[in-house]
Amino acid sequence: MATDALRAQVAAKWQESFTRLNQNEPGIVGLLNFSQAWNIARECIRPRGLDEPDPLTEYDKSTFQASFELLNKCRRLPILLETFLDDMRKRLPVIKEEVDQYTLEYERTSDTSFILNLVFRLLQWYNKWMPRSELGATLQSAFVLSFQTHIFSILTPTFVRGFKELCASTLPPSDPSTSAPEPNIKMWEAFETLGLLDRYENIIASVGYEHIEAHVVSNFAGQWSTSVLGELRKWMTNQVVPWMLLMYGRNATTTDDARAMLQNVGSRFDFHMAKTLCDLRTKEIFDIIIDFPESTGALQDLKECLHRVDQRANLVHTLRKANHKRLLHPGADTRLILTQYVATIKCLRVIDPPGVLLFKVADPIRRYLRERPDTIRCIISNLTGDDDSGDPLVDDSEPIQPLHQTELEEYNDPNWEPEPVDAGPDFRANKPSDIVSTLVSIYDSKDLFVKELQVLLAQRLLSVTDDDSEKVEKERRSIEILKIRFGEAALQACEVMLKDMSDSKRIDGHVQSQNETVLHPTIISKHFWPMLEATEIVMPGQFRTLQEEYAKRYSTFKPDKQLRWLPHLGTVHLELQLEDRTIETNVPPLEAAFIELFSQQNVWTMDKLIDQVGSSVDKAAALKALLTWVDLGVLKEEGNNTFSLLEVADAAGTTPREPRAVANSAMELPSAPSVQQQQAEQMKVYWKFIEGMLTNLGSLPVDRIQNMLKLAPGYDQTVEQLGIFMEAARLEGLVVVRDGIWKLTPK
Amino acid sequence: MKVQIKNWHAVAQWRWDSVSDDTNKGDDDEGDVCGICRVPYEGCCPACKVPGDDCPLIWGECSHVFHMHCLLKWIGTAASKQQCPMDRRSWVTAERKIAPAQEPAASADHSRD
Repeated sequence: MATDALRAQVAAKWQESFTRLNQNEPGIVGLLNFSQAWNIARECIRPRGLDEPDPLTEYDKSTFQASFELLNKCRRLPILLETFLDDMRKRLPVIKEEVDQYTLEYERTSDTSFILNLVFRLLQWYNKWMPRSELGATLQSAFVLSFQTHIFSILTPTFVRGFKELCASTLPPSDPSTSAPEPNIKMWEAFETLGLLDRYENIIASVGYEHIEAHVVSNFAGQWSTSVLGELRKWMTNQVVPWMLLMYGRNATTTDDARAMLQNVGSRFDFHMAKTLCDLRTKEIFDIIIDFPESTGALQDLKECLHRVDQRANLVHTLRKANHKRLLHPGADTRLILTQYVATIKCLRVIDPPGVLLFKVADPIRRYLRERPDTIRCIISNLTGDDDSGDPLVDDSEPIQPLHQTELEEYNDPNWEPEPVDAGPDFRANKPSDIVSTLVSIYDSKDLFVKELQVLLAQRLLSVTDDDSEKVEKERRSIEILKIRFGEAALQACEVMLKDMSDSKRIDGHVQSQNETVLHPTIISKHFWPMLEATEIVMPGQFRTLQEEYAKRYSTFKPDKQLRWLPHLGTVHLELQLEDRTIETNVPPLEAAFIELFSQQNVWTMDKLIDQVGSSVDKAAALKALLTWVDLGVLKEEGNNTFSLLEVADAAGTTPREPRAVANSAMELPSAPSVQQQQAEQMKVYWKFIEGMLTNLGSLPVDRIQNMLKLAPGYDQTVEQLGIFMEAARLEGLVVVRDGIWKLTPK
Repeated sequence: MKVQIKNWHAVAQWRWDSVSDDTNKGDDDEGDVCGICRVPYEGCCPACKVPGDDCPLIWGECSHVFHMHCLLKWIGTAASKQQCPMDRRSWVTAERKIAPAQEPAASADHSRD
């Protein structure tokens, strides 16, 4: 129940409102005036259908103004605004229907013109509903805000897609031959008016980005020979910037103005371009490196892009991954890995002269190479230009320098520069050092290289036949080159080896001049050659006679010296005169020895043969030698390890087969054990010590053994190596181990 | 069948004659070393780079053998008193049996069978 007080209050309110609307007019005239003004005002800002006439045609201008002034005086304008917005909301379904219709059409046909038409349609509505400017900015801005809000709420994701496509269609095509579409200024204006530009700025930018990406990828993927960054920038200026002007520089009047407006967005686009190119090149980096030096342009680009975009970590990551996947696996040839490594060095030096990237990328490669047994051989044979496949790792143009020793940083150097910021803690700048130093530094010491070099050289020298002095000359030259790198002292042994070669030739010349013989030995100074595998073969028959005669003459010529034959090395050129045929061939000495034995007796068992040539020949080697002759159709295997001579060619099976095996065995380089085998050989010496130790002291831990072995002359193994050796000895049943304590196997 | 050798490219090592004539343990791989520089005879003395004829041995009457360069250097010092460093007898270089050298060499070869 309303109380009196309430009633009084309502009455007061009512009175107040009434006075406000009535404006002190007599009676309710003011009220009527207000009512009329309200109707006029409301009618003229009412959101109308597109085909309805403009309110101006119904009322003249002064009427409006009067009505609005009246409303203003009565402070009813906010209410009017609210009413207006409310009316608009009520009309919105009409628009929504249209929007849906257009987007549906677009969805059906994927034709962006529907979207364009939709935008224009929206613009029409917008213009139609836009309150007249005389009515004040408040009303207008309220309208704009509300209209846009509603529109945005209506627009579906489909529209956004279409809008994006529409924007993309306005872009200049990346194909320069077709001309750019006529800039549709009206469209952009519509966008602006409807607030679509601000709302969908991201989308428009992404259109630009995607355009740039597409252009970069389609035009420059795989184009590594020249630097494309300049071209790309030109393209940006000519094609993309005008497009950007439509959007971002519409209101610019002067070029300076435009530049200022574009500054921000322009640098964003430029950044994106650099990033796109950088990403592309990063993805391609492995192949770019393969193509080096044809890909220098791409590297230059990458370098510049990396200055602009911080993608260094990404580059390192990608390259490491690519290397891991494509390079560092058992299927890749060591030579290939080396070549790629060298190319990587060169490429990354272009991109990043301080070498931080290189250091990070190279580390896994180097670690992998260290594990490969034939890395040293590859490097050496490449250094000496002994590679069949050409393509030397080191350019001839590069001056040959002595090996660079890693040096401590020189802080007094006025040109000293701190390490780059992204350098890791173990980064070591090996500044100007050449490729070879880098390769050699894969290993901790160059001694390994020198040793391997000796082994290689020995192999090659021993395979040189007498009439082939050119080859020796070639070796001499490459040794001279290597001397510059490794230093004279390191290669002293190689020098002696070469001298042995020429001395042998001289001596042979002398011996031959006195008494011609078919034997032409290479006489070596054994301490300067790598250990050659020693299997003693006693050469039978005429071979032995030849050896003895030659040795005698040698001792006559050099009275203080004797010859000791290494009968398993070298090659023999033989002619076999059989009843129905003669066979001429090159064979290793063991083969020669066997066939000589067959000339004495037609049937041999393998064991007998081995006995005849000294029992140190192992069965596999003997079998191989015999099979060589079987392949040549000279011998026949009778089974049971018995072989017989085929004085007359066997009609059935032994039409001399393709002498494949022979070719191989004759061509095979004389075996010189690799460094590892030599180490094992050395360990055998120390086994004597270990055996003695364990006999005297019972049982010892590996550390004690190591410590005691250190006293032995020339012992240079680590405790790990010793451990491996002991393990090997255990497998052979020589020692047993319990709780890390080693003991001799009880007899 | 007749086997005819057309050409034989063999490999041999040289070693100093006579060092271990007496013992005839020529097959031992580790040759003897010079008593002064401890480098094998078939190596070269520390001052040389090339072994063999450029760094020959010298034989003493006392049966000790050294690199010639090593010994001459020793003899050159005042402390040596011209004595063999091994046995302190005065050094007398042995006459080398140059002419008949081939006989023992050849027989040594035979006896190695």
